[in-house]
Amino acid sequence: MMLLQQSPAWIDLDPTAPPDLLGAFLICLLTLSIFSFLYRDNPFYKLAEHLFIGVSTAWYTLEFYDSGVKKALFEYLPEKVHALHDPALAAATQLGGYPVSPGWALAWRLGAVALSFMLLARLVRRDAWISRWPLALIVGIYAALKMTGETQARLVQQIRETMVSLWPADASAVTIAGHLVLVLGLVCVLVHFLFTFKRTRTLAGFSRVGVIVLMLAFGARFGFAVLGRIALLIQRIAELNYFGQPQYSMGGSDWLGMLLTPPWLVGGLIVLVLALGALSRRGEPRQPAA
Amino acid sequence: MAAPLAFDRRWIYLGLGLLITGLYAFGSPEVLPPAEPVQEYYDAIEALPEGSIVLLSADFDPASAAELYPMFYGTLHHLFRRNLRVIGVCTWPAAPPFSREAFRTIAPQYGKVYGRDWVELGFLVGDDVAMGIIGQSLRSAYPNDALSKAPYDSFPLLRDVGDSSRGIAMLITTSAGFPGILEWIPQLSTRYDVPVLAGTTAVQTPSLYPYHPRPLLGYLGSATGATQYLQLVAPGTPALVPVRDENQRRMVAQGWGHLYIVALIVLGNIIYFRTRRRAS
Repeated sequence: MMLLQQSPAWIDLDPTAPPDLLGAFLICLLTLSIFSFLYRDNPFYKLAEHLFIGVSTAWYTLEFYDSGVKKALFEYLPEKVHALHDPALAAATQLGGYPVSPGWALAWRLGAVALSFMLLARLVRRDAWISRWPLALIVGIYAALKMTGETQARLVQQIRETMVSLWPADASAVTIAGHLVLVLGLVCVLVHFLFTFKRTRTLAGFSRVGVIVLMLAFGARFGFAVLGRIALLIQRIAELNYFGQPQYSMGGSDWLGMLLTPPWLVGGLIVLVLALGALSRRGEPRQPAA
Repeated sequence: MAAPLAFDRRWIYLGLGLLITGLYAFGSPEVLPPAEPVQEYYDAIEALPEGSIVLLSADFDPASAAELYPMFYGTLHHLFRRNLRVIGVCTWPAAPPFSREAFRTIAPQYGKVYGRDWVELGFLVGDDVAMGIIGQSLRSAYPNDALSKAPYDSFPLLRDVGDSSRGIAMLITTSAGFPGILEWIPQLSTRYDVPVLAGTTAVQTPSLYPYHPRPLLGYLGSATGATQYLQLVAPGTPALVPVRDENQRRMVAQGWGHLYIVALIVLGNIIYFRTRRRAS
Protein backbone atom coordinates (compact mmCIF):
# COMPACT_ATOMS: atom_id res chain seq x y z
CA MET A 1 0.00 0.00 0.00
CA MET A 2 2.91 2.26 0.74
CA LEU A 3 4.16 1.79 -2.79
CA LEU A 4 0.81 2.83 -4.18
CA GLN A 5 0.82 6.12 -2.31
CA GLN A 6 3.96 7.09 -4.20
CA SER A 7 2.90 5.69 -7.53
CA PRO A 8 4.74 6.96 -10.60
CA ALA A 9 3.01 8.93 -13.35
CA TRP A 10 3.28 6.37 -16.12
CA ILE A 11 0.63 7.82 -18.42
CA ASP A 12 -1.54 10.90 -18.22
CA LEU A 13 -4.04 11.20 -21.07
CA ASP A 14 -6.83 12.54 -18.87
CA PRO A 15 -5.68 15.27 -16.45
CA THR A 16 -8.33 14.25 -13.90
CA ALA A 17 -7.45 10.55 -13.98
CA PRO A 18 -5.14 9.04 -11.35
CA PRO A 19 -1.55 9.13 -12.64
CA ASP A 20 -1.12 5.39 -12.24
CA LEU A 21 -4.29 4.24 -14.03
CA LEU A 22 -2.39 2.20 -16.60
CA GLY A 23 -0.32 0.65 -13.84
CA ALA A 24 -3.52 -0.15 -11.95
CA PHE A 25 -4.87 -2.06 -14.96
CA LEU A 26 -1.59 -3.93 -15.32
CA ILE A 27 -1.44 -4.86 -11.64
CA CYS A 28 -5.07 -6.03 -11.64
CA LEU A 29 -4.57 -8.01 -14.86
CA LEU A 30 -1.49 -9.81 -13.56
CA THR A 31 -2.94 -10.48 -10.10
CA LEU A 32 -6.22 -11.85 -11.42
CA SER A 33 -4.43 -13.79 -14.16
CA ILE A 34 -2.38 -15.60 -11.52
CA PHE A 35 -5.51 -16.27 -9.44
CA SER A 36 -7.25 -17.66 -12.53
CA PHE A 37 -4.99 -20.71 -12.26
CA LEU A 38 -7.11 -21.82 -9.32
CA TYR A 39 -9.87 -22.45 -11.86
CA ARG A 40 -7.60 -24.18 -14.36
CA ASP A 41 -4.49 -23.60 -16.46
CA ASN A 42 -5.30 -20.93 -19.06
CA PRO A 43 -3.69 -18.35 -21.39
CA PHE A 44 -4.06 -15.49 -18.86
CA TYR A 45 -2.08 -17.45 -16.31
CA LYS A 46 0.52 -18.39 -18.91
CA LEU A 47 0.89 -14.72 -19.92
CA ALA A 48 1.45 -13.61 -16.32
CA GLU A 49 3.80 -16.51 -15.61
CA HIS A 50 5.97 -15.86 -18.66
CA LEU A 51 6.01 -12.14 -18.02
CA PHE A 52 7.09 -12.75 -14.43
CA ILE A 53 9.91 -15.08 -15.45
CA GLY A 54 11.09 -12.74 -18.20
CA VAL A 55 11.06 -9.61 -16.06
CA SER A 56 12.70 -11.38 -13.10
CA THR A 57 15.45 -12.82 -15.27
CA ALA A 58 16.17 -9.46 -16.85
CA TRP A 59 16.22 -7.66 -13.50
CA TYR A 60 18.42 -10.25 -11.79
CA THR A 61 20.83 -10.34 -14.75
CA LEU A 62 21.24 -6.57 -14.67
CA GLU A 63 21.74 -6.43 -10.91
CA PHE A 64 24.28 -9.26 -10.94
CA TYR A 65 26.09 -7.68 -13.87
CA ASP A 66 26.16 -4.30 -12.16
CA SER A 67 27.47 -5.63 -8.84
CA GLY A 68 29.55 -8.61 -9.99
CA VAL A 69 31.04 -7.44 -13.30
CA LYS A 70 30.67 -3.70 -13.87
CA LYS A 71 31.68 -2.49 -10.40
CA ALA A 72 34.04 -5.34 -9.62
CA LEU A 73 35.86 -5.26 -12.94
CA PHE A 74 35.16 -2.41 -15.36
CA GLU A 75 35.20 0.24 -12.64
CA TYR A 76 37.71 -1.38 -10.30
CA LEU A 77 40.53 -1.99 -12.80
CA PRO A 78 40.81 1.57 -14.23
CA GLU A 79 40.59 2.94 -10.70
CA LYS A 80 43.51 0.83 -9.54
CA VAL A 81 45.56 1.56 -12.68
CA HIS A 82 45.02 5.24 -11.93
CA ALA A 83 46.10 4.63 -8.31
CA LEU A 84 49.44 3.28 -9.58
CA HIS A 85 50.34 6.88 -10.52
CA ASP A 86 48.59 8.70 -7.67
CA PRO A 87 50.23 8.40 -4.21
CA ALA A 88 47.08 9.56 -2.40
CA LEU A 89 44.94 6.89 -4.07
CA ALA A 90 47.68 4.31 -3.62
CA ALA A 91 47.75 4.96 0.12
CA ALA A 92 43.99 4.33 0.32
CA THR A 93 44.12 1.03 -1.56
CA GLN A 94 42.98 -1.95 0.51
CA LEU A 95 42.41 -5.63 0.09
CA GLY A 96 40.07 -7.30 2.55
CA GLY A 97 40.50 -4.43 4.94
CA TYR A 98 44.31 -4.45 4.84
CA PRO A 99 46.40 -1.75 3.11
CA VAL A 100 48.19 -3.02 -0.01
CA SER A 101 49.85 -1.48 -3.04
CA PRO A 102 47.63 -0.87 -6.11
CA GLY A 103 49.74 -3.28 -8.14
CA TRP A 104 49.09 -6.05 -5.63
CA ALA A 105 45.34 -5.30 -5.64
CA LEU A 106 45.34 -5.37 -9.44
CA ALA A 107 47.16 -8.69 -9.53
CA TRP A 108 44.68 -10.31 -7.16
CA ARG A 109 41.71 -9.03 -9.15
CA LEU A 110 43.20 -10.19 -12.45
CA GLY A 111 43.86 -13.56 -10.83
CA ALA A 112 40.17 -13.75 -9.95
CA VAL A 113 39.27 -12.87 -13.54
CA ALA A 114 41.53 -15.66 -14.79
CA LEU A 115 39.82 -18.11 -12.45
CA SER A 116 36.42 -16.96 -13.76
CA PHE A 117 37.51 -17.70 -17.32
CA MET A 118 38.85 -21.08 -16.21
CA LEU A 119 35.35 -21.91 -14.97
CA LEU A 120 34.05 -21.42 -18.51
CA ALA A 121 36.29 -24.26 -19.68
CA ARG A 122 33.46 -26.60 -18.65
CA LEU A 123 31.84 -25.66 -21.92
CA VAL A 124 34.64 -27.39 -23.84
CA ARG A 125 34.58 -31.14 -23.28
CA ARG A 126 38.29 -31.68 -23.92
CA ASP A 127 39.43 -28.92 -21.52
CA ALA A 128 36.71 -29.31 -18.91
CA TRP A 129 39.28 -30.38 -16.32
CA ILE A 130 40.59 -26.80 -16.18
CA SER A 131 37.38 -25.70 -14.47
CA ARG A 132 38.05 -28.04 -11.55
CA TRP A 133 40.80 -25.76 -10.20
CA PRO A 134 38.65 -22.67 -9.61
CA LEU A 135 35.78 -24.91 -8.52
CA ALA A 136 37.99 -26.54 -5.90
CA LEU A 137 39.06 -23.12 -4.71
CA ILE A 138 35.45 -21.95 -4.44
CA VAL A 139 34.43 -25.05 -2.48
CA GLY A 140 37.42 -24.74 -0.18
CA ILE A 141 36.96 -21.05 0.55
CA TYR A 142 33.22 -21.42 1.02
CA ALA A 143 33.67 -24.38 3.35
CA ALA A 144 36.23 -22.51 5.44
CA LEU A 145 34.08 -19.42 5.58
CA LYS A 146 30.99 -21.37 6.60
CA MET A 147 32.85 -23.60 9.04
CA THR A 148 34.16 -20.81 11.21
CA GLY A 149 30.99 -18.73 11.35
CA GLU A 150 28.54 -21.61 11.46
CA THR A 151 30.42 -23.49 14.15
CA GLN A 152 30.31 -20.46 16.38
CA ALA A 153 26.72 -19.42 15.65
CA ARG A 154 24.95 -22.73 15.12
CA LEU A 155 26.88 -25.13 17.31
CA VAL A 156 28.78 -23.48 20.15
CA GLN A 157 26.22 -20.74 20.70
CA GLN A 158 23.31 -23.18 20.47
CA ILE A 159 24.84 -25.64 22.93
CA ARG A 160 25.52 -22.79 25.31
CA GLU A 161 21.91 -21.60 25.11
CA THR A 162 20.62 -25.05 26.06
CA MET A 163 22.69 -25.12 29.25
CA VAL A 164 20.12 -23.39 31.39
CA SER A 165 19.54 -23.68 35.09
CA LEU A 166 16.43 -25.78 35.76
CA TRP A 167 15.53 -23.95 38.94
CA PRO A 168 17.00 -20.45 38.72
CA ALA A 169 16.65 -18.26 41.76
CA ASP A 170 13.59 -15.96 41.79
CA ALA A 171 12.25 -17.54 38.59
CA SER A 172 8.51 -17.82 37.96
CA ALA A 173 6.82 -21.17 37.52
CA VAL A 174 6.41 -20.44 33.80
CA THR A 175 10.14 -19.86 33.38
CA ILE A 176 10.99 -23.08 35.22
CA ALA A 177 8.47 -25.01 33.11
CA GLY A 178 9.96 -23.48 29.94
CA HIS A 179 13.45 -24.53 30.94
CA LEU A 180 12.26 -28.06 31.76
CA VAL A 181 10.53 -28.39 28.40
CA LEU A 182 13.66 -27.10 26.63
CA VAL A 183 16.05 -29.50 28.33
CA LEU A 184 13.81 -32.58 28.29
CA GLY A 185 12.64 -31.90 24.73
CA LEU A 186 16.23 -31.48 23.54
CA VAL A 187 17.36 -34.71 25.23
CA CYS A 188 14.41 -36.67 23.80
CA VAL A 189 14.97 -35.36 20.25
CA LEU A 190 18.67 -36.20 20.47
CA VAL A 191 17.80 -39.70 21.70
CA HIS A 192 15.51 -40.13 18.69
CA PHE A 193 18.53 -39.66 16.42
CA LEU A 194 20.75 -41.97 18.48
CA PHE A 195 21.46 -44.99 16.30
CA THR A 196 24.62 -46.25 18.02
CA PHE A 197 22.86 -48.27 20.73
CA LYS A 198 20.18 -50.90 20.59
CA ARG A 199 16.73 -49.34 20.95
CA THR A 200 15.74 -50.53 24.44
CA ARG A 201 12.37 -49.82 25.98
CA THR A 202 13.69 -46.75 27.84
CA LEU A 203 15.37 -45.34 24.75
CA ALA A 204 12.23 -46.01 22.71
CA GLY A 205 10.18 -44.09 25.27
CA PHE A 206 12.49 -41.08 25.09
CA SER A 207 12.50 -41.37 21.32
CA ARG A 208 8.70 -41.35 21.24
CA VAL A 209 8.61 -38.12 23.24
CA GLY A 210 11.28 -36.75 20.87
CA VAL A 211 9.02 -37.49 17.91
CA ILE A 212 6.17 -35.62 19.58
CA VAL A 213 8.46 -32.62 20.17
CA LEU A 214 9.52 -32.74 16.51
CA MET A 215 5.89 -32.93 15.38
CA LEU A 216 5.08 -29.88 17.50
CA ALA A 217 7.97 -28.02 15.88
CA PHE A 218 6.80 -29.01 12.39
CA GLY A 219 3.26 -27.98 13.33
CA ALA A 220 4.51 -24.55 14.42
CA ARG A 221 6.34 -24.21 11.12
CA PHE A 222 3.23 -25.17 9.18
CA GLY A 223 1.17 -22.68 11.16
CA PHE A 224 3.63 -19.93 10.34
CA ALA A 225 3.62 -20.95 6.68
CA VAL A 226 -0.18 -20.57 6.63
CA LEU A 227 0.18 -17.20 8.36
CA GLY A 228 2.55 -16.02 5.65
CA ARG A 229 0.45 -17.24 2.74
CA ILE A 230 -2.69 -15.61 4.11
CA ALA A 231 -0.76 -12.36 4.59
CA LEU A 232 0.21 -12.47 0.90
CA LEU A 233 -3.40 -13.12 -0.11
CA ILE A 234 -4.60 -10.20 2.00
CA GLN A 235 -2.02 -7.96 0.36
CA ARG A 236 -3.31 -8.82 -3.11
CA ILE A 237 -6.92 -8.31 -2.03
CA ALA A 238 -6.00 -5.00 -0.38
CA GLU A 239 -4.37 -3.84 -3.60
CA LEU A 240 -7.35 -4.87 -5.72
CA ASN A 241 -9.61 -3.09 -3.23
CA TYR A 242 -7.46 0.03 -3.51
CA PHE A 243 -7.80 0.10 -7.29
CA GLY A 244 -11.55 -0.49 -6.96
CA GLN A 245 -12.03 2.95 -5.39
CA PRO A 246 -14.10 5.59 -7.21
CA GLN A 247 -11.09 7.66 -8.32
CA TYR A 248 -10.01 4.76 -10.54
CA SER A 249 -13.46 4.44 -12.09
CA MET A 250 -13.89 5.07 -15.81
CA GLY A 251 -17.42 6.41 -15.30
CA GLY A 252 -18.91 7.87 -12.12
CA SER A 253 -18.90 6.87 -8.48
CA ASP A 254 -22.15 4.89 -8.23
CA TRP A 255 -22.39 1.07 -8.36
CA LEU A 256 -22.05 1.16 -12.14
CA GLY A 257 -18.93 3.27 -11.75
CA MET A 258 -17.53 0.66 -9.39
CA LEU A 259 -17.94 -1.96 -12.11
CA LEU A 260 -15.84 0.27 -14.38
CA THR A 261 -12.78 0.20 -12.11
CA PRO A 262 -9.67 -1.83 -13.11
CA PRO A 263 -10.26 -4.93 -10.92
CA TRP A 264 -13.87 -5.36 -12.04
CA LEU A 265 -13.16 -4.64 -15.71
CA VAL A 266 -10.14 -6.94 -15.87
CA GLY A 267 -11.82 -9.60 -13.72
CA GLY A 268 -14.91 -9.47 -15.93
CA LEU A 269 -12.77 -9.85 -19.05
CA ILE A 270 -10.96 -12.88 -17.64
CA VAL A 271 -14.19 -14.55 -16.48
CA LEU A 272 -15.82 -13.87 -19.86
CA VAL A 273 -12.94 -15.35 -21.84
CA LEU A 274 -12.67 -18.39 -19.56
CA ALA A 275 -16.44 -18.94 -19.72
CA LEU A 276 -16.40 -18.74 -23.52
CA GLY A 277 -13.50 -21.19 -23.55
CA ALA A 278 -15.42 -23.57 -21.27
CA LEU A 279 -18.53 -23.30 -23.46
CA SER A 280 -16.53 -24.02 -26.60
CA ARG A 281 -15.12 -27.16 -24.96
CA ARG A 282 -18.52 -28.61 -24.02
CA GLY A 283 -18.73 -32.23 -24.93
CA GLU A 284 -14.95 -32.73 -24.82
CA PRO A 285 -13.47 -35.05 -22.15
CA ARG A 286 -12.87 -33.19 -18.85
CA GLN A 287 -9.36 -32.24 -17.76
CA PRO A 288 -8.38 -32.44 -14.11
CA ALA A 289 -8.62 -29.21 -12.08
CA ALA A 290 -5.45 -27.33 -11.13
CA MET B 1 -15.21 -45.33 0.57
CA ALA B 2 -13.41 -42.41 -1.10
CA ALA B 3 -16.65 -40.51 -1.60
CA PRO B 4 -16.47 -38.19 1.47
CA LEU B 5 -12.94 -37.08 0.48
CA ALA B 6 -13.73 -36.60 -3.19
CA PHE B 7 -14.10 -32.84 -2.91
CA ASP B 8 -13.17 -30.25 -5.51
CA ARG B 9 -10.51 -28.18 -3.80
CA ARG B 10 -11.58 -25.08 -5.71
CA TRP B 11 -14.49 -24.71 -3.28
CA ILE B 12 -11.92 -24.32 -0.50
CA TYR B 13 -10.08 -21.59 -2.44
CA LEU B 14 -13.35 -19.83 -3.15
CA GLY B 15 -14.36 -20.03 0.51
CA LEU B 16 -11.04 -18.60 1.66
CA GLY B 17 -11.12 -15.85 -0.96
CA LEU B 18 -14.64 -14.77 -0.01
CA LEU B 19 -13.86 -14.90 3.72
CA ILE B 20 -10.70 -12.81 3.42
CA THR B 21 -12.27 -10.31 1.02
CA GLY B 22 -15.37 -9.88 3.17
CA LEU B 23 -13.45 -9.48 6.41
CA TYR B 24 -10.93 -7.10 4.87
CA ALA B 25 -13.69 -4.94 3.39
CA PHE B 26 -16.09 -4.92 6.35
CA GLY B 27 -14.05 -5.98 9.39
CA SER B 28 -12.99 -3.50 12.07
CA PRO B 29 -9.29 -2.96 12.88
CA GLU B 30 -7.83 -5.24 15.50
CA VAL B 31 -5.38 -4.03 18.15
CA LEU B 32 -2.80 -6.68 19.06
CA PRO B 33 -0.80 -6.69 22.30
CA PRO B 34 2.93 -6.68 21.44
CA ALA B 35 4.64 -10.05 21.78
CA GLU B 36 7.81 -10.22 23.86
CA PRO B 37 10.27 -10.36 20.91
CA VAL B 38 8.49 -7.40 19.30
CA GLN B 39 8.77 -5.34 22.47
CA GLU B 40 12.45 -6.31 22.70
CA TYR B 41 12.98 -5.24 19.07
CA TYR B 42 11.47 -1.85 19.88
CA ASP B 43 13.36 -1.51 23.16
CA ALA B 44 16.70 -2.41 21.54
CA ILE B 45 16.35 0.48 19.08
CA GLU B 46 15.22 2.80 21.85
CA ALA B 47 18.28 1.85 23.92
CA LEU B 48 20.81 2.88 21.25
CA PRO B 49 22.58 6.17 21.98
CA GLU B 50 21.78 9.00 19.56
CA GLY B 51 24.14 9.12 16.59
CA SER B 52 24.89 5.38 16.68
CA ILE B 53 25.42 3.79 13.30
CA VAL B 54 22.95 1.08 12.25
CA LEU B 55 23.40 -1.23 9.27
CA LEU B 56 19.93 -1.74 7.78
CA SER B 57 19.81 -4.61 5.34
CA ALA B 58 16.92 -5.20 2.93
CA ASP B 59 17.00 -8.91 2.17
CA PHE B 60 13.71 -9.46 0.42
CA ASP B 61 11.96 -9.22 -2.95
CA PRO B 62 8.46 -8.30 -4.18
CA ALA B 63 7.13 -11.77 -3.30
CA SER B 64 7.74 -11.16 0.39
CA ALA B 65 7.25 -7.38 0.42
CA ALA B 66 3.71 -7.76 1.77
CA GLU B 67 5.13 -9.08 5.02
CA LEU B 68 8.48 -7.30 5.18
CA TYR B 69 8.11 -3.85 3.65
CA PRO B 70 5.92 -2.50 6.50
CA MET B 71 8.63 -3.64 8.94
CA PHE B 72 11.37 -2.02 6.89
CA TYR B 73 9.34 1.18 6.53
CA GLY B 74 8.45 1.32 10.23
CA THR B 75 12.00 0.55 11.33
CA LEU B 76 13.48 3.30 9.18
CA HIS B 77 11.01 5.80 10.66
CA HIS B 78 11.96 4.61 14.12
CA LEU B 79 15.69 4.89 13.44
CA PHE B 80 15.46 8.41 12.05
CA ARG B 81 13.09 9.49 14.80
CA ARG B 82 15.70 8.35 17.32
CA ASN B 83 18.41 10.34 15.46
CA LEU B 84 20.37 7.23 14.60
CA ARG B 85 22.55 7.11 11.49
CA VAL B 86 21.66 4.47 8.93
CA ILE B 87 23.63 2.62 6.27
CA GLY B 88 21.40 0.77 3.81
CA VAL B 89 22.62 -2.42 2.12
CA CYS B 90 20.87 -5.18 0.14
CA THR B 91 21.83 -8.80 -0.42
CA TRP B 92 18.83 -9.58 -2.62
CA PRO B 93 18.94 -8.20 -6.18
CA ALA B 94 15.27 -7.19 -6.14
CA ALA B 95 15.51 -5.31 -2.84
CA PRO B 96 17.14 -1.98 -3.91
CA PRO B 97 13.93 -0.40 -5.28
CA PHE B 98 12.17 -0.95 -1.94
CA SER B 99 15.11 0.29 0.08
CA ARG B 100 15.57 3.32 -2.15
CA GLU B 101 11.91 4.27 -2.02
CA ALA B 102 11.80 4.02 1.77
CA PHE B 103 14.96 6.13 2.24
CA ARG B 104 13.87 8.76 -0.25
CA THR B 105 10.42 9.03 1.27
CA ILE B 106 11.34 9.01 4.95
CA ALA B 107 14.73 10.77 5.24
CA PRO B 108 13.42 14.21 4.14
CA GLN B 109 10.61 14.00 6.71
CA TYR B 110 13.24 14.10 9.47
CA GLY B 111 15.57 16.54 7.71
CA LYS B 112 18.25 13.88 7.33
CA VAL B 113 21.20 14.65 5.07
CA TYR B 114 22.60 12.08 2.66
CA GLY B 115 26.15 11.14 3.51
CA ARG B 116 25.97 12.52 7.03
CA ASP B 117 22.88 10.81 8.45
CA TRP B 118 22.27 8.06 5.94
CA VAL B 119 23.98 6.36 3.02
CA GLU B 120 22.68 3.81 0.62
CA LEU B 121 25.27 1.30 -0.55
CA GLY B 122 22.96 -0.90 -2.61
CA PHE B 123 23.12 -4.51 -3.69
CA LEU B 124 26.24 -6.64 -3.24
CA VAL B 125 26.48 -9.95 -5.05
CA GLY B 126 27.85 -12.97 -3.19
CA ASP B 127 25.25 -14.02 -0.63
CA ASP B 128 26.87 -15.00 2.68
CA VAL B 129 30.37 -14.47 1.30
CA ALA B 130 29.36 -10.86 0.64
CA MET B 131 28.11 -10.62 4.22
CA GLY B 132 31.49 -11.83 5.43
CA ILE B 133 33.21 -9.17 3.35
CA ILE B 134 30.88 -6.49 4.72
CA GLY B 135 31.82 -7.61 8.22
CA GLN B 136 35.51 -7.67 7.43
CA SER B 137 35.70 -4.32 5.69
CA LEU B 138 32.76 -2.21 4.60
CA ARG B 139 35.13 -0.14 2.48
CA SER B 140 36.33 -3.19 0.52
CA ALA B 141 32.75 -4.37 0.02
CA TYR B 142 31.50 -1.00 -1.18
CA PRO B 143 34.21 1.28 -2.61
CA ASN B 144 31.38 3.61 -3.77
CA ASP B 145 27.84 4.33 -2.67
CA ALA B 146 24.81 3.37 -4.76
CA LEU B 147 23.17 6.75 -5.35
CA SER B 148 25.96 9.17 -6.25
CA LYS B 149 28.72 6.61 -7.00
CA ALA B 150 31.02 8.77 -4.87
CA PRO B 151 34.06 7.19 -3.12
CA TYR B 152 33.59 5.64 0.31
CA ASP B 153 35.70 8.20 2.13
CA SER B 154 33.77 11.16 0.76
CA PHE B 155 30.93 10.44 3.22
CA PRO B 156 31.36 11.48 6.88
CA LEU B 157 29.10 8.65 7.98
CA LEU B 158 31.21 5.99 6.28
CA ARG B 159 34.43 7.55 7.54
CA ASP B 160 33.05 7.16 11.06
CA VAL B 161 32.48 3.45 10.46
CA GLY B 162 36.10 3.01 9.45
CA ASP B 163 37.37 -0.20 7.97
CA SER B 164 35.94 -2.98 10.08
CA SER B 165 32.34 -3.46 11.13
CA ARG B 166 33.18 -2.63 14.72
CA GLY B 167 31.95 0.90 14.09
CA ILE B 168 28.46 -0.51 13.55
CA ALA B 169 26.33 -0.42 16.68
CA MET B 170 23.62 -2.73 15.38
CA LEU B 171 22.55 -4.77 12.39
CA ILE B 172 18.87 -4.81 11.46
CA THR B 173 17.71 -7.06 8.66
CA THR B 174 14.35 -7.65 7.04
CA SER B 175 14.90 -11.13 5.80
CA ALA B 176 12.87 -13.33 3.45
CA GLY B 177 15.15 -16.38 3.25
CA PHE B 178 18.60 -17.11 1.88
CA PRO B 179 20.67 -15.02 2.21
CA GLY B 180 19.22 -13.38 5.29
CA ILE B 181 19.26 -13.36 9.05
CA LEU B 182 20.51 -16.96 9.33
CA GLU B 183 23.58 -15.95 7.31
CA TRP B 184 24.06 -12.52 8.92
CA ILE B 185 24.32 -14.12 12.36
CA PRO B 186 27.39 -16.31 11.66
CA GLN B 187 29.04 -13.96 9.17
CA LEU B 188 28.68 -10.67 11.02
CA SER B 189 26.98 -10.90 14.38
CA THR B 190 28.87 -13.67 16.18
CA ARG B 191 32.13 -13.04 14.33
CA TYR B 192 32.34 -9.32 15.08
CA ASP B 193 30.04 -9.22 18.10
CA VAL B 194 27.43 -6.97 16.49
CA PRO B 195 23.97 -7.09 18.10
CA VAL B 196 21.27 -7.98 15.61
CA LEU B 197 17.52 -7.45 15.13
CA ALA B 198 15.43 -9.09 12.45
CA GLY B 199 12.08 -8.87 10.76
CA THR B 200 11.24 -12.07 8.93
CA THR B 201 8.59 -13.78 6.89
CA ALA B 202 6.32 -16.18 8.73
CA VAL B 203 7.96 -19.18 7.12
CA GLN B 204 11.36 -18.19 8.47
CA THR B 205 10.28 -17.09 11.94
CA PRO B 206 10.55 -20.49 13.72
CA SER B 207 14.17 -20.73 12.53
CA LEU B 208 14.98 -17.70 14.69
CA TYR B 209 13.89 -19.17 18.02
CA PRO B 210 17.27 -20.76 18.80
CA TYR B 211 19.04 -17.43 18.31
CA HIS B 212 16.83 -15.42 20.62
CA PRO B 213 17.70 -13.60 22.89
CA ARG B 214 21.41 -14.00 22.00
CA PRO B 215 22.65 -12.81 19.56
CA LEU B 216 19.19 -11.90 18.24
CA LEU B 217 17.91 -9.27 20.66
CA GLY B 218 14.39 -9.21 19.22
CA TYR B 219 12.46 -10.03 16.08
CA LEU B 220 9.28 -9.31 14.17
CA GLY B 221 7.55 -12.38 12.78
CA SER B 222 5.41 -11.91 9.69
CA ALA B 223 2.61 -9.39 9.21
CA THR B 224 1.45 -9.96 12.79
CA GLY B 225 4.83 -8.93 14.21
CA ALA B 226 4.89 -5.94 11.84
CA THR B 227 1.49 -4.79 13.06
CA GLN B 228 2.49 -5.11 16.71
CA TYR B 229 5.68 -3.15 16.04
CA LEU B 230 3.86 -0.42 14.11
CA GLN B 231 1.49 -0.05 17.04
CA LEU B 232 4.50 0.71 19.23
CA VAL B 233 6.19 3.13 16.82
CA ALA B 234 3.18 4.94 15.33
CA PRO B 235 2.15 6.99 18.44
CA GLY B 236 5.27 9.16 18.14
CA THR B 237 5.34 9.06 14.34
CA PRO B 238 2.26 10.57 12.65
CA ALA B 239 3.40 9.43 9.18
CA LEU B 240 3.10 5.82 10.34
CA VAL B 241 -0.48 6.05 11.62
CA PRO B 242 -2.12 5.18 8.25
CA VAL B 243 0.28 2.26 7.78
CA ARG B 244 -0.52 0.98 11.27
CA ASP B 245 -4.27 1.35 10.68
CA GLU B 246 -4.04 -0.52 7.39
CA ASN B 247 -2.11 -3.37 9.05
CA GLN B 248 -4.57 -3.53 11.95
CA ARG B 249 -7.39 -3.75 9.42
CA ARG B 250 -5.73 -6.78 7.85
CA MET B 251 -5.35 -8.63 11.14
CA VAL B 252 -9.06 -9.53 11.36
CA ALA B 253 -8.92 -11.31 8.01
CA GLN B 254 -5.62 -12.85 9.05
CA GLY B 255 -7.07 -14.35 12.22
CA TRP B 256 -10.24 -15.71 10.61
CA GLY B 257 -8.27 -17.04 7.66
CA HIS B 258 -6.26 -19.08 10.14
CA LEU B 259 -9.38 -20.37 11.84
CA TYR B 260 -10.75 -21.36 8.45
CA ILE B 261 -7.65 -23.47 7.73
CA VAL B 262 -7.74 -24.98 11.24
CA ALA B 263 -11.42 -25.86 10.79
CA LEU B 264 -10.66 -27.56 7.47
CA ILE B 265 -7.79 -29.54 9.02
CA VAL B 266 -10.07 -30.71 11.86
CA LEU B 267 -12.86 -31.56 9.42
CA GLY B 268 -10.47 -33.42 7.14
CA ASN B 269 -9.18 -35.48 10.08
CA ILE B 270 -12.69 -36.31 11.28
CA ILE B 271 -13.63 -37.50 7.79
CA TYR B 272 -10.40 -39.47 7.51
CA PHE B 273 -10.77 -41.28 10.83
CA ARG B 274 -14.47 -42.01 10.29
CA THR B 275 -13.74 -43.40 6.84
CA ARG B 276 -10.90 -45.54 8.21
CA ARG B 277 -13.03 -46.89 11.08
CA ARG B 278 -15.84 -47.71 8.67
CA ALA B 279 -13.40 -49.51 6.40
CA SER B 280 -11.97 -51.57 9.27
